[in-house]
Order: sequence, then C-alpha cells, then structure tokens
Amino acid sequence: MANRSGTAQRPNGQSQGKICQFKLVLLGESAVGKSSLVLRFVKGQFHEYQESTIGAAFLTQTICLDDTTVKFEIWDTAGQERYHSLAPMYYRGAQAAIVVYDITNQDTFGRAKTWVKELQRQASPNIVIALAGNKQDLANKRMVEYEEAQTYAEENGLLFMETSAKTAMNVNDIFLAIAKKLPKNEQNTGQGGSVQGRRLTEGNTEPKTGANCCK
Amino acid sequence: MTVGTTLPLLKDPQMQFGATTFFAKQHKGDTCGSNGLPLTPNSIIIVGRAQTLKTINCPYLCQYLDFIRGKHERTIVVSQYCGTPLAELIEKRRFEPEEIVQIAYQILEGLKVLHGRKIVHRTLSNDNILLQSSGDVKLFNYGLFHMSKFGSLVSFPVFQVLYTAPEVFLNGINRLSSDPKCDIWSLGVCLAELALNKVLWSSLKLGQKIRKILSMLQVNGSILEKIAREHNSYEQYLEMPEDLKEIIEECLNVLPSHRPTCDLLLKKPCFQQFKAKEGEGFRKICPPFEIFTIHELYHWWQLAGGDVLLELKKQGLIRSSPPILSLPSLVLIEGVVLGQDRNPATLYDPRIAQMPLDALYQRFAHIPFPVFYPLIHSKSEIIADADPPPYDATALPLVIKEKDPEYQLHRVILLRRLLHGYPFTKDFIVEQSAKDIPPLLRGEIWAALLNIQADYETTYTRIDKVTHTTTDRQIEVDIPRCHQYNELLSSADGHKKLKRILKAWVYQNSQYVYWQGLDSLTAPFLYLNFNDEGKAFACLSAFVPKFLHNFFLKDNSVVIEEYLCKFSQLIAFHDPDLANHLHEINFYPQLFAIPWFLTLFSHVFPLYKILHLWDRLLLCDSSFPIHIGLSVLTQLRDRLLTSGFNECILLFSDLPEVDIEKCVLLSTSTYQNTPRSVTSREHENGKFHKKDELDIVGLKLEELKKERCPRISANDVVNFVRNRPNDVLLIDIRNPTMYSRCSVMGSINIPFSSVSFSDNIIDNIGLHSAALKSKGHKVVVVIGDADTDLETFPTFLLQCNISKVCVLHGGFNRLLSVTPTVLTSNNAM
Repeated sequence: MANRSGTAQRPNGQSQGKICQFKLVLLGESAVGKSSLVLRFVKGQFHEYQESTIGAAFLTQTICLDDTTVKFEIWDTAGQERYHSLAPMYYRGAQAAIVVYDITNQDTFGRAKTWVKELQRQASPNIVIALAGNKQDLANKRMVEYEEAQTYAEENGLLFMETSAKTAMNVNDIFLAIAKKLPKNEQNTGQGGSVQGRRLTEGNTEPKTGANCCK
Repeated sequence: MTVGTTLPLLKDPQMQFGATTFFAKQHKGDTCGSNGLPLTPNSIIIVGRAQTLKTINCPYLCQYLDFIRGKHERTIVVSQYCGTPLAELIEKRRFEPEEIVQIAYQILEGLKVLHGRKIVHRTLSNDNILLQSSGDVKLFNYGLFHMSKFGSLVSFPVFQVLYTAPEVFLNGINRLSSDPKCDIWSLGVCLAELALNKVLWSSLKLGQKIRKILSMLQVNGSILEKIAREHNSYEQYLEMPEDLKEIIEECLNVLPSHRPTCDLLLKKPCFQQFKAKEGEGFRKICPPFEIFTIHELYHWWQLAGGDVLLELKKQGLIRSSPPILSLPSLVLIEGVVLGQDRNPATLYDPRIAQMPLDALYQRFAHIPFPVFYPLIHSKSEIIADADPPPYDATALPLVIKEKDPEYQLHRVILLRRLLHGYPFTKDFIVEQSAKDIPPLLRGEIWAALLNIQADYETTYTRIDKVTHTTTDRQIEVDIPRCHQYNELLSSADGHKKLKRILKAWVYQNSQYVYWQGLDSLTAPFLYLNFNDEGKAFACLSAFVPKFLHNFFLKDNSVVIEEYLCKFSQLIAFHDPDLANHLHEINFYPQLFAIPWFLTLFSHVFPLYKILHLWDRLLLCDSSFPIHIGLSVLTQLRDRLLTSGFNECILLFSDLPEVDIEKCVLLSTSTYQNTPRSVTSREHENGKFHKKDELDIVGLKLEELKKERCPRISANDVVNFVRNRPNDVLLIDIRNPTMYSRCSVMGSINIPFSSVSFSDNIIDNIGLHSAALKSKGHKVVVVIGDADTDLETFPTFLLQCNISKVCVLHGGFNRLLSVTPTVLTSNNAM
C-alpha cells in the first residue's frame, strides 16, 4: 500500500505535530467489557446489551497528546477460550495491549493473568500492557480487590486502572496513559509499524522498536 | 360453476376477538440486576410468560391470540371473545338445572385443561364465563394470574373478591403460588349464583364482602344453604335437584384439602351424558381439518388495517393524559423520581374492547369460496385451469407481499393445507417456499424444509438439559446479549428456553463444543417456535449438519480456513476487479467473515433480515452462504473499491445497511450461475454431497490456499461440453503437440509457454485474446496436465480481470475415462 504519511495532512490543525499510529489489542475473558470499553473510547457510547464479539472487531480512534497525534488501531478480540487460537493473529505486532477483567468476577482476573503471561512470552518485547479492572460501577459487588490487582500490576510492570465503560470512568485515561508510555521518538522509521494491519496472517516479526512515527 | 362468497365462512360467531389492558409493575429507582444489566421490564416478562397461553386450544376456553406492549409498561391482551357473560344474564332469565349442570361440566373441562398445565385461573367468575348462542360456555381471561407470575408482576391484586376462596385471603393474596383448588371454590360460587339466580351480596362494600367470605369459615353445615338463606332463596335451595346441590356444596368446602379436584368432580354420574356426546366427534378417524383458525383471522385482520391499540383508544380503554400531568413532583439529583405514581384505579381495567371486523369482511367480501379449498395437484389441465387464478403479487416486493392481507390469505390457506399433508407434500412445500414464505407459518415451514420428523418432542424431552457443565458460564453470559431488542428473546422465559436448547445441543453433539455464536444461530429457531422448544431444537439439530458441518469442532480451523478460501475464490470467480483490489490491500476474509459464516449471518443481521435470508438458504445447499457473503460485498462494492485496508475493515466492524431482498436476489443468481464443483469443499457433509472420482476429492488445504481461482470438476466440464457448449470457453494450455493429438471438443489451445506473464495484459496471450475479451458470461475452464503450471495462467487471467475462470481438477487426463467421450483428435484449430 501507499505509505500512510497521508494521514499527516489531515486537516485537524495538528499537521505541524507528529502523527503516530499504534496497534492496540484488547484481551480478556468473555463478557468482561472489552467491546464496551472500545465503544466508549471510540464513540462515547454504551450499550447495555453489547453483543458478543466473534472473531474480532476493528476500530480506530485518534487522540492528541501534547504536540503528537496518536492514532490507535484497535483490535477487539473475542473472549471465549475457543477463539484463543485466533488471538496471536491479532496481538502479533501490537505495540500495546489492554488486558481486561471484571472486578465482580475473580475467575476473569485469573484469566487476565494468563493473558499477561502469554503476551510477555509471545508478543513484541516492547509491548505496553495495561490491566483494566472493568465494571467499576458495580464496586459493591466487587470480588477482586483494588490492592490485589495493583500489586500484581506493579510486579509485572503493567499500567493499571479500574474502569467503567458504563460511566466512562478512566476509559479515556487508560488509553491516554498507554499513549504516553508508548515511544514516540522520531528516529524510528516511519514504515515498519504502519503495515501491521495487514500482517495478520503472516508470521513476520514486527520492527523491534514496535512503534512508528511519521512526520 | 357458480360460487358463493366467503363471508358466511368468515362471519362465524366464534371468530370474534377482543382486548383487555393493564399495567405491569414498574421497577423503582436504579434498575440494575446483580449482573449489572438493566432489569427486564415486567411487561416483557409477562409477554414471555404469556406465550404458552396461545397454545391452549379447548372448546371451553377462549383462545389467546396476542400480547402487546404499550408505553409505560402497558400490557394488552388479545383473545377470542364471543358470547355473553353469565353475570349479565343472572336475575334476567331463568337457568334450568340441566343447563347449569351442563355449564358446570364445561367449566370443569376447561379448568381441567388449565390445571393440567399447572395454570390456576384465580379470577373465575360469572363475568368471564361467556355463554354462546349454542348454549356452550367459554372461559375468558383465565391467564392473567399465570402471566403475571401469580400476581407478582403487577401492582393490582389478581382476584375477584366475591368468588375468591377463603384460604386465599388467609394465606395472603400476594403469596407466590396458588392451589388450583381455589378455582373449584370459585366454581361453587358461580354455580350458586346461577342456581339461586341471584347476584350475591350485591349491596356489600369491598371490605364487607371479604368479611363475609371469611365468615364462611365458621359455618357448620352447608354453605350453600347459608347463602340461600341470606338471599331469601331458601325455597330455591330446597327445590334444587340433589345432584346439582351436591356439586355446589362439594365445591364450597372451606378446607381446600377436602375440596374435590376437577377430575373427581367430572366423575359424577350427572356429567356422563355429556362425555358420551363428546365422544361422538372423535369417532372420526382423523380430526376435522379447520379451514382457517382464529389466529389466522386475527393475522389477516391486522394486515387489513386492524389496530388493537387504536381500537382501545377509540373505545376509551386507553386514555392519554396531557404530558404536564405526568410530570414528577420531585427529582433528586441522583435521578430518583418522586410523585409520578399512577392512579391505582387505572392499573387494571376490567372492560373488554371488542374488535370490529367489518373492515376485514369488506376487504374479503369478493373472495370466492373455492379459495378456501385450493386445488393442490391435478392431472387434468381442464380442472386445473378451472381454478380461480391465484391473487397475483409476484411482481411486488417481498415486504409488500407480506403485508397484503389478500395475498397472505391465499398463501396461508394453501401452505397450511400443504403442511397438513407433510411429509408427503414436501415437494410442494419446497416449490411454494421458493416463491415466498408466509410469516405466520414460517416456523412450521422451516421445520418441514429441514425434514423434521414427528417424534422430535420425545427426543428433546429425553435430553439432559439441567446438569451443570463447564459450558454453562459461557452460555449464561452470551444469552443476555443475544438479540435482546426482541421482546421474546429478552424475556425471562426466552432466556430459560434458549439456555435449555443450547445445553441440549451441546449434550447431544458430543463431537462438537459450544462456540460463541451458537446462541445467535439458535435465536431465529427459538423466535419462530417459542412455544415449541423441541421443534426449535430439532431445527437447529438438522440445520447444523446441513449448513455448518464440523464448524463447531473444538479445532475447527481447517474447516473454517477452507470455507474462507472458497469464499475468496468465489469472489475471484464472479468479481475479479474486487478480488484483485482486496488481494492488493491484503484484506482477507479471515479478518471479517468469520462471524458471517460461523453464525450464517445471524450474528450480524437483525432477526427480521435473517428470516428472509434463511427463507432462501433453507432451499439451497451449504455453498449458499458464501454466495450471500459475495452479495454483501457486491452491495458495498463501490466503497470497497475506493478504500484502503483500514477503511474496509472499519466498514465491516460496523456493517452498514444491507438490503436483504437484494442480497437474496444477487446470491440466488450467482448460486444458479456457478457450477456446483466450483464451491465444493473437502469438509462438506458427505451425506448431502455425494462425490465420485470425477468430482473434486482429496484437495489439500495447503494447495487450496495457494490457488486464487477455483477448480472445477470433470463432471461439470463434461456437463458443459455435452449440454451447454455455448456457456463455456475451454482453454487447453498444454503444448500444441499434445493438443492436436487429443483434446476436448470445442477447446482452444493457448500453450502455457507461449504467454508472457510479465504484465497483466490480456493481449499477451496472442491470437485468442479476442475470444477471452468477448467471452461474456461464459465460464473459462483452464485445462492442463501434470506437466503444466496450473496456478500462473489462471491467476494471470484473473489479474486481467477475466471473470469466471476456473481450473479443471485433475487435468486433461481425468477426462480420458469419460464415456461417451468428450474428446476429439486432430483438432483443426
């Protein structure tokens, strides 16, 4: 494809700043709210009866961070264990991942830990991982203590927030925190990461830096 | 032949219906359940619970027809309504003892049916016993207690004070269950009123009435006698025939445990005469076929403009107050609303609005009588031609046809006849379904198209749907997200049913596992057979092997990959431009089409679209879904062609409006214009696709994945050569020597070695390029042999945007054994 520097010319008043694209993947047990988080972040909406995701869904969202425009290419994956075999196709080459669990369900936290391990083993070495304890609005039914998750996150070097897709709490914040943590240094070639969208079915390893910026 | 009109048939006095309305209890304050999802509105739960009432069919019970939700938890119940309430006749005419005994018998038969289904009437009174002109009675409004979950889903009490058994008051009227014995007490009161011909305690106020009933607990001896004395009717009491007196007195026993059941009462000698009479009807070998049912009449009435809501408004049962009057008095900052309570007097309206049928009669007045007796098949053309020409609506769009009352009358009458003859009429049903499927009968027609056998219910009953399994959690989190905009599927009963069907399916198919998406796949079947779980299950069980064979294996990757490959190839076959573009931007079906095919679009489209899509799918084979996929791409073609990877994938993450009728037309057309073997798969169900050595067998996935153009079987090529030589362009790419020695009749020779593949320019192939450029709709079959490269040449044609390119599977040699031969030597080309 043509190189994506074209996006830099978008009339968003940011044409002077840097534009970075990052591939971000959401992982976690089913019904913890992955799709809801994305929907809240991308469209500011919340659907009580958000349908289950089969395979994966793709969405994009752009945020501004100081002088940089960060464009997230978000792969929202299916949560059911059976779709696990598809997951590498989506997280391969991702520069960031949000592993989601449901604070009202201890099992989903266990599953989140498994995902973190798998990412640390198999994904790009520099991947930024965030842990999201979703459904914070149901805190009165909490089964996973905040401190427990925070300790785990610190031990594993993860960003951590409790979120609520329903009330929008911390949703933008967690994406923003990821954006801040991602390397945006200009010496990265602007080519490598820009094609991650199409590398899904190939086995190529992503550029080591894991990020790309174009001017 | 002179023919009468259908009006006398339609104007059956029992084919009348009416509606009642009430409000379901509103949830207060924050309305979230323990799973964080909003609480299901009570009116939806009621509508879900009430569905089963529609299946009650007894001559002494009014049939339930429909349950409609209005605004603000209003619930409307539509049911058969005919005759006069007994309450209106008491004190106005005399009831003979024999007549009362007959009424008692018919009420008991009605109650027996209800109690057999664990439904308690609870509101039996002379107000809702309707006397027909024939002298028979029908119970009306017997389902309120059941649908309101023993009164817990409404905020008004569900009982008729005067007729209510004393234990109901003692136990508290809000207790969540009820003994059917309370109906027997109510029957006693009803019969006492008739026998004494007195409206009981008409002057008493509500509280006094309750006290009066409770005072019965103190009575030693006959309650009937006490009632008679209190109403100055002791003489009538004494004159009453013993058998009738006995029945009433047994019913009015204050101890529920001593009160007889329906069955026990029906054993009384005085009832035997009616039983004998009823027996006569059943001497016929098969039950009489109803020309049409009241359900159908109601359906046509609605299509002809009948509107229950409007009628209720017209008749004053629904009154809208100005919005300013419904403003809350106080709204707290947390969102709690105060002072908006509904006037309790409006929660339940005992009135019944009769629905006027005149518009329907007028609409159907001209329809000749024979329409109700359609000629199914006849060998005599004269007889067949004598039939009135069926109402012609073929040119109309499907949605219009479905809303046309007259057309639906024809379709329903015809297809119900055909269904009656199933399985012997299967071929006719298929033939008619190809035209369109009347929505009213869709559930049954689908079951017929899927070859469901009569014993489906036993099979379903025997399956363990209760034992906890590891899949339960997944099923439980998926169901509350599955087509929840639909009232039936979002109701509590809908959830329970869907869970049971899915558990039954997982249990029954041990070779498969539950994949997310199976819930969506089951939803249409449950929606259509909401009152027949067994049939929904049977349909799913027949559907999966036919269309999704091995898709739900624990490791289904090979099956899905092959399917997606065939999808890509089909795109290449019919739309090379699009295929080349998608290939160029690396936009693979793996990224977007898995939910399409795994759930056959039931996860991507709303129910009403799925129904129309599957109407056609059920008539086709397992290759049809990829044609549907192609038709979706075709509709979005222009946008896809001008978009890059990101735009394309975004387009499918939030699928834009797709015209389903167009989809059906497009996919049917490509389905009919694609040689069967082009879409044949290694993993399709052998039961439905028999194959021989001239078909495509043994093609490995790794090979398939390399090929951008599909293969075609020798069988299909032979068929082309023999029967449709003008629809095919056979290109032999072997070297000229071999070609002239022996070749397929009508084939042209473009030796592989003679073509330069450096640019995608069709002229590179030289002499024959003109034939390819002007080939039109022809299928292009590339024929080679073991020595020729069978990927480069077809891919080259594809890249030159030549459509319908395929490769002969097994090469030229595969045709050598065909007899009579399709080969020729010394080809003079």
